[in-house]
Formats: sequence, C-alpha cells, structure tokens
Amino acid sequence: MSRTSSTATPTWHHFERKLEEVKPSKTDINYLVMDYLVTNGYPAAAKKFSAEANIQLTTDLQAIQERVDIRTAIHSGDIQVAVEKINELNPQILDEDPSLHFALLRLQLVELIRVSMDTPGSDITSALDFATSQLAPRAPTNPQFLADLERTLALLIFPSDKLDPALASLLDPALRKDIAARVNEAILQNQGARREARLRNLVKLRAFAEQKARDSKKDIPDTLDIGLVGDSHNTSNSNDLATNVSDTLMSNSDNDQMIS
Amino acid sequence: MSDVPLPLSGGARAPTSYPSISSIPRRSSYASVVSGNAFSPSFSNLLTESLPSSTFDRVHRAPFGVDADMQMNSAWRPNSLPPHSRKYAGFLQSDVPHPGLLDPPFLTPSYLRNSRYLARLETAHRAKLTRDSNPPLSASPSNAHLPRIAPSHRGMTYDIIEKEPPTTDSLSPLPSQWSSADKYAGLELSNDSFDVRYTGPVHKHDHEAAALRADHPMPPQCGIYYFEVKIESKPKEGMIGIGFSSPKASVERLPGWEQESWAYHGDDGKSFFGESQGQGRAYGPTFTVGDTVGCGVNFSTGSAFFTKNGIFLGMSRGLGNESQLTGSGNAFHELRNVKLYPSVGMKKLPPVHLKANFGQEPFVFDIDSMVRVCVGCFPWMKSANFQQQEREAIQHEINATPTTNLQPPLDESTLLQELVAQFLAHDGYVETARAFAGEVASETLALQNGRNEPLKKYEVEEDHEAINRNKIRSAILDGDIDKALKHTKAYYANVLEANPQIHFKLRCRKFLEMMRHSNEISTRPPSAHSHEHAVFDHEMELDDDTDGSFNQLLTEAVQYGQQLRADYPNDENGGDKKLLDDIFSLVAYPDPKRSVHGHYLETKGRVAVAEELNSAILVSLGKSSAAALERLYQQTEVLVNEISEDGGAGAFINVRNDVLL
Repeated sequence: MSRTSSTATPTWHHFERKLEEVKPSKTDINYLVMDYLVTNGYPAAAKKFSAEANIQLTTDLQAIQERVDIRTAIHSGDIQVAVEKINELNPQILDEDPSLHFALLRLQLVELIRVSMDTPGSDITSALDFATSQLAPRAPTNPQFLADLERTLALLIFPSDKLDPALASLLDPALRKDIAARVNEAILQNQGARREARLRNLVKLRAFAEQKARDSKKDIPDTLDIGLVGDSHNTSNSNDLATNVSDTLMSNSDNDQMIS
Repeated sequence: MSDVPLPLSGGARAPTSYPSISSIPRRSSYASVVSGNAFSPSFSNLLTESLPSSTFDRVHRAPFGVDADMQMNSAWRPNSLPPHSRKYAGFLQSDVPHPGLLDPPFLTPSYLRNSRYLARLETAHRAKLTRDSNPPLSASPSNAHLPRIAPSHRGMTYDIIEKEPPTTDSLSPLPSQWSSADKYAGLELSNDSFDVRYTGPVHKHDHEAAALRADHPMPPQCGIYYFEVKIESKPKEGMIGIGFSSPKASVERLPGWEQESWAYHGDDGKSFFGESQGQGRAYGPTFTVGDTVGCGVNFSTGSAFFTKNGIFLGMSRGLGNESQLTGSGNAFHELRNVKLYPSVGMKKLPPVHLKANFGQEPFVFDIDSMVRVCVGCFPWMKSANFQQQEREAIQHEINATPTTNLQPPLDESTLLQELVAQFLAHDGYVETARAFAGEVASETLALQNGRNEPLKKYEVEEDHEAINRNKIRSAILDGDIDKALKHTKAYYANVLEANPQIHFKLRCRKFLEMMRHSNEISTRPPSAHSHEHAVFDHEMELDDDTDGSFNQLLTEAVQYGQQLRADYPNDENGGDKKLLDDIFSLVAYPDPKRSVHGHYLETKGRVAVAEELNSAILVSLGKSSAAALERLYQQTEVLVNEISEDGGAGAFINVRNDVLL
C-alpha cells in the first residue's frame, strides 16, 4: 500500500486525508498487540514482546500456557485430556456452562466416530457407548442438545465420502477451532479477564462501521484496503524463518563490527 | 421514553442549504472558535454597549477587568485546559491579546461526558492549543508524504507537530453562549453572554417579539442535546418562548411562530412548531419568574422534549409510545441538513431577564440519567451510555457483523494473526515476530494433525532490515543519537539525505540529550564537599568533580549547538530556526527542565523522532509506513466518525475508549 501512488478520485483523497489525521499512538497499538498475545494464548511471543516493546507483562505466563495446553488438546482431538485439564483449572467452568460442556462432549463423540471411520473394519461400539452414557442423559435438558446429538449420530449412518455439507462440517477442523476458542473465552471469563482480545473488538468494529457507512450511503471509497496484502512479504514457513533470522543475525553482527 | 414530537408543518420542509446569518460570519470550525482569533461576540458586546441603564444590570456595572478575571477563574476553565498548557501561557499572551476574554468557554455538559463527540471536541481543542503555542517545526514538502507520527493520546503531539492538525470542518462546536449577532437588536447580553435582557420600550403588538439564538447550532453528533433557561424576571403580561430554530426564523417573532422554529410557551404552556401561530398544542404547565425550563432534542428520534424545574414534561402529555414517535412523519429527520440553534424569545415588555445554562453549570433536570435511560428505548443507541448493560446491544450488533470481507479469503482468527504478524515484522519486533510465527505454526500443526492437507504456511515478513531498524530505534529511545546516526548512515544513508528535516531533528535531539546529560549532573544532589560552596562562586572551579564534568558537558553541548547553528543558518536543508532558537535557549536557564522550553528535554521527544525516522526508512524501502493494524485503526476511527455525523449509531461509540479501555 503506497500512499503516494494514490491518484484516483477526489473521494479517495478526501478519505485518505481523514485517515492521515488519525494518529494511533504506538503505545495504544502495542497494548492492543500485547493484549492479543495474552488473550489468544501466545506466551512465548508475549514474553518476547514484553522485552522488545518494553511493556510490563501483567499476566502470569504459566496461566497463558495452561490455556494453550487445553487449546492444543482440543485442536488435536484429545477432548478427554482437554476436559480433564479444564476441570483441573476450575470445575465450575464446565458446570456453569452446560452448553459448552455439551459441545465438548459432542466434539468428543465426533472424534470417536472419526476414528472408527478412518480405521476400516473397526466397530462403532465405543462411539455408541459414549453417546449413550455421556450425551443421551443431557440431551433432554435442551432441544438444541438433542438436535445436535441426532445430527452427530447421523455421521454413523452415511458413508463418509457422501456426507451432505452440514454433516461434513462436523468433521472439519473448524469445529475444533471454534470450540477451543469458546473454551478459551470461558476460562478467561472464569478468571475475571476479558473474554476476547481487544484487537478482535477493533476488527469487528471496523467491519461494522464500514457496513453502517455503506448502508447510509456515506461518501467513502468503494473498497477499503487494510493493506495486509501487497506489502512485500517474504514467504517462508516457520522452518525457513528460523534460518533466515539466524542468517540475518550473523550478517548483522558483521555490520556491527564494521561500524564500531 | 416518550418524547414529544414537534411536527414539522408541510411548508417548512428541509431545504438543503441556508444562507448563514448575515451580520457576522459564522465560524466554520471549532478550531477558529477556540483560537480566540475569531472576534468574539461577548467581547464586542462588552466594548460597544453603553453603560448600565438598568438596575438589573449587575455585570455591566462591574469593572471591565473584573469581568475578565471572573471568566478566567470560572469553574470550568481549569478542567478544560490540559495541565501542560500552563507552560504555554507566555505564548498565548503574546499571540492573543486577551485570551481569557476572546475565547468562548469550552463547555463540557455533564450528560455528554464520555461521549465520543466530546472526546473529539477536546482533541481538537488540545490540538488547537498546541498549535497556537507550538508552531509547525517543518513544512517542507519533502516530508509531506511521510506519515505523521504521533499519537495525540498520550500527549506526544506537544513535541512535534508535522503539519496542520486535523481539520475539524465536520466537527461542529457546542452552543456556548447567546449570539451577539443573531438576535433582536434591542436585546442585551451579559454574564459571558449567558444572560439576556429586554429593557427596551414597551410594544404591545401581538406579533412583535424579541428573540435570539445561541452562537452555534446543536450538533446532531451528540445524539441528545439539552440546555436550560431560567426566568430571572419578567413582567406579569410578559410572554416567553423557549425552544430552537433555524436561521430562517425571524428574531422579531417568538420561536414557534416562525417556520423552522419550535418552542414551549410560558403563558399558556403550549408547544408550538413552525408557522402554526396560535395553534399550539396543549403541552405542559405555564411557567413564569423563578422557573427553570429545559429544552432537549433527541436527534436519534427527531423529537424534542421540555422540562420545568427539573420535571420531565413529555410524560405528562402521554404523547404516545415509541412507535408513534418514530413511525410518524413528524420527526425532524427531514431536517438533517438544517442547523437548529437554541433559541428564546420574549414579548417586548420590559424588564425581562433570562439566564441560559449551556452546560457551564449543573442542570436542574437530571439529564444525565435521562440520557442513560433513553438508550434503553432506541435499540441502535444502546452504546450511548457508558454502562455495560447498555452497551451490550450495539456490541451484539458489532459482533454479529461478519469480518470475512475485510481481507478475503482470511477468516477472522487468521486475519488477527496476520495483522499481528505483519505489525511485528513491520515495526521491527524481530524476536517477537519469530516467537509468534513459531507458536502459530504449532497451533496450526495441532489443528491439522492426522489430516492429509499440507501444513498451512504462515507468512511473516521478516528481514534483516527489521533488525537494523529496531537497532536504530532502540538507540534513539536510549538517547544514544550518535549510535542511531551511525547505524542510519551505515544502512540507510540515502534516508538522511532524502529527509534533511529528519537529520536536522536527530541532531537537535542529540543537542537535547547533551543538555539532558549536563542537566542531570548539575541537579544531582551535591556531595558533602561541594555542599560547602555556594554554587555560583565555585561553578568554574575544576577541582570539583561535579561542577567540572557539568561544565565540560555544558561546553560540549554549547559547542555542538554552535555547530548546529552554523550548519543550519536558516530554514533551508531541513533546518528550522525557530526550533533551534527554542532549544538553544535552554542553555540560558539554571534549571532548563523547568524552563519554558523544558518540555523539549522530556524523553518522549525521543519516541517522535524515532518513529519519524523509522517511517522514513520504511518509505525508502518502498514499504507502507504504517502497519496494516494501524491502518485498520485509522479506518475504524474515520468510519465511526462518518456514521456519527448525523447522530447515527457512531455518535455513541468511542473507538479508543470502547476498544482500548
């Protein structure tokens, strides 16, 4: 995104000028970033950022790590482990949120079914047992629970390569991700912290405000690029990255000697 | 909440523009108002009006200077001026002959506290104060494309103002006093133009009256606007109308009788709107001497309401429920483009004395609570107030807005990761960027575990440039300008050449750091040895270590300053003579930190220079000078401004307060 390349319409200029007038302070932006790293569970980055940006870390890194471990367990499909860890933290978290508890149990059922689907010739007894013992007793308490349970069990009936989209979505990793995020929020709330990162609020507000502005036909550019794409990226996965950095670190220390 | 709709009669429908009041140019921006440069009505009034002719006229009898002092010392003023502004007192006085008199008051009505609108006004106000006292350091076109650094939030703007501060053309100021121009000529103003009197001859004609309007229209951006008028005196037969009108309404008639005017009349308790002379609706009780009448406009519903002595009158009419209010065509939504001014009018029967409260003192009616309660009735206004439960409704709407269109095809969580990663790389937080990339990669790995899809690659911008930039920034933040200059020359020699003003500022910063250093030594608690000496007697003695090194450092600083002067004799090559003069004058003070230019020595000045240099380097590398995250923040702020302009939902959102606090 280059500002200087801006030619286009007067509207564009007008809007761009207004943008230039907004000067978020570095302190605010750094705070947003730190809040995100802590809330969404990136303890190593939070620690580094605390040092590099000179921000006091007010949260215990261990507490972040506990949430990360739970997230990892859910992402990997180890729901049993995740539930145990959550209850180690505080049993109230699930006791006070039956809907979240049910969602976790249902995810566990999905994972059991997935195993049976992925393993030819395996039987579905364990999945059915789990459904009977854990989910069925809870289902009558909430119509949604019942519907969810029925839909999940339908996975057992249809061949895995001919699932309709609604059913297939149960097997998508997005479900794990969703539930992991919900668990993270529940833990944060239980610990008296904000449920969501402020950065998420900002992004939401940005989308909302643009929607409102367009709805009321405000004079804004047709597209508003946030400038993520187009900045020069060195495309590299994390492995390359480490090499890159150590290379640059070395070449950099050379430079240092040269200067001093 | 049932506000009383004041229907707009058919003939007066929404023209798109109006000629402004003829006799005085209406001030176009808030900035010009607070500047004191605009010719103030109250001032002209005091000067030109004849000496007191009435026993009611207490203020006019007071000596001129006392009035000025009262204004300077009145209650709102200490709050409205940021504490640092003291240090600019000298500037203000030299620029503006009578700052206290010429500045209309900066009012902060209680019910608008915490509102986004007031926050914006205050920002503009502060920017204005700063600009007055701290003229732009550099206006060279070569840096015009650079981003402005600094962050008004935490006060850094006091150090460097790169170019014109935000234009405030869309930000209408609050009504702050009665207008000395937009009034019936026979009305007299006093008490900072809050009080208005009619002491002229008796006119018994029914149609004739004397009216006036406030100096500014009620800004729709505040959602609800409210003011009060106290009837200090009026004759028995007197007639008073309190309400609001557009400039179209004549000031020789009572508001409510004219087109585009609305008012509550004290003689019969009726509400009047537009040309319906004598056809008002029964509304509330009558009011008379000693009563305080409030007038409120709810721009969200396009309705108005009145209060008497702290009692809300809308309810007593039983005028309908919400659907009637918002569903009818009575609302003045159609008047979006019409500027509505607080207005009062009176029959020309002396003596009449009315006193307005535009928020300069507490209101009789509990408008604060009403504004809070009100939001319960209008769903989109629910962010209006500052209590958690009321925010939730709009927060819900915000949360329900999909974010996937912001940067397709990224989903929300990936978008957040990208924003953070790009910011970390962009701003040179190398270690953090690496740690973050690693954590995101393992998160993704866990999620994809057991799947056939390849590991989603996580892109992060990362290069040795970031490390270099970080080194330079750290050096500046540590006050080690030499190191920063050395690194910059080694890695980005062209940046200093292309941006001579930044080079100049860096060198100025070096001088300031030298001054800081010598200052630290001189203000260090004296040792037992030096304590015996009177400082001035011995300050030249080199046998005292402290004094010696102090002198050494000061001499070096002065020499460096002289070199700067020689290198930048004028404003060419990025130089700025004014800045040089300012910082060089620090040498003259025994305790420079407390001098008038002492703020230059503060360490936050380093941040501004560091960020400016960082941005210039980024531009030289062909990269955007602001990270996507910052851009997103800017866009949000501007978009929220856009949707708040006509009193929409945005009026009740304060990006920084809502998101950051």
